[in-house]
Amino acid sequence: MSGAASYLMRRAAQKERVRILYRRALKDTLTWAVHRHLFYPDADALRERFDANKNVEDIETIDRMIADGESQYNKWRHPDPYIVPWAPGGSKFTRNPEPPSGIEIVYDYGREDH
Amino acid sequence: MASALRAAILGHLRVPVLANGSNLLTPLWIHRTTSVRSMSSHDDHLEKSQVIDRILDIVKSFPKVDPSKVTSEVHFQKDLGLDSLDNVEIIMAIEEEFKLEIPDKEADKIDSCALAIEYVYNHPLAS
Repeated sequence: MSGAASYLMRRAAQKERVRILYRRALKDTLTWAVHRHLFYPDADALRERFDANKNVEDIETIDRMIADGESQYNKWRHPDPYIVPWAPGGSKFTRNPEPPSGIEIVYDYGREDH
Repeated sequence: MASALRAAILGHLRVPVLANGSNLLTPLWIHRTTSVRSMSSHDDHLEKSQVIDRILDIVKSFPKVDPSKVTSEVHFQKDLGLDSLDNVEIIMAIEEEFKLEIPDKEADKIDSCALAIEYVYNHPLAS
């Protein structure tokens, strides 16, 4: 039945959106609450908020809740999030790139005019 | 006068240059085998046993997990009875431990210890 398959696909897509939203929200919480002893209660509170809506079954409600959650996440995003240094946006990104292979340094100090 | 002489002498002398770089020309502090990668951040090669140990420690210290059930083939949701959100939390803990940045789509697919170990081991920048 294509109806059941499309329903399942929609639910699966929604679950993925929820997981990615939770992941980003958790990272954001870590950026805001730098000290660990502040992060743990905040992370627990975030988890409670997600768990409170765990058993909703209606697809439209779920869609609305996810959109709501994403807009809240966008509102609370940190302006300067912690990104791992070598990742895009981090401080070490493309800092020391590997030179392309085949390029060598010619040591001809003192002999340049020949 | 001296510079002209010097130029003439240099024009006639040729120091033999070996293609692989001889000891005369490379400074002693450059270790020949690592060439340009010795100063990059891509050098922490982890052993697989280290990776396995660290990942298993992370999973065992997760509060909702029973430590005795954790092996390196365990599936987070099927064998350990965790939630998908718990999965996300474990992956975040792994990212923090190995100083990695896993893209969202990749992180969604890591479902078991075996996948996590493989991903971290094959990542060039895991440390």
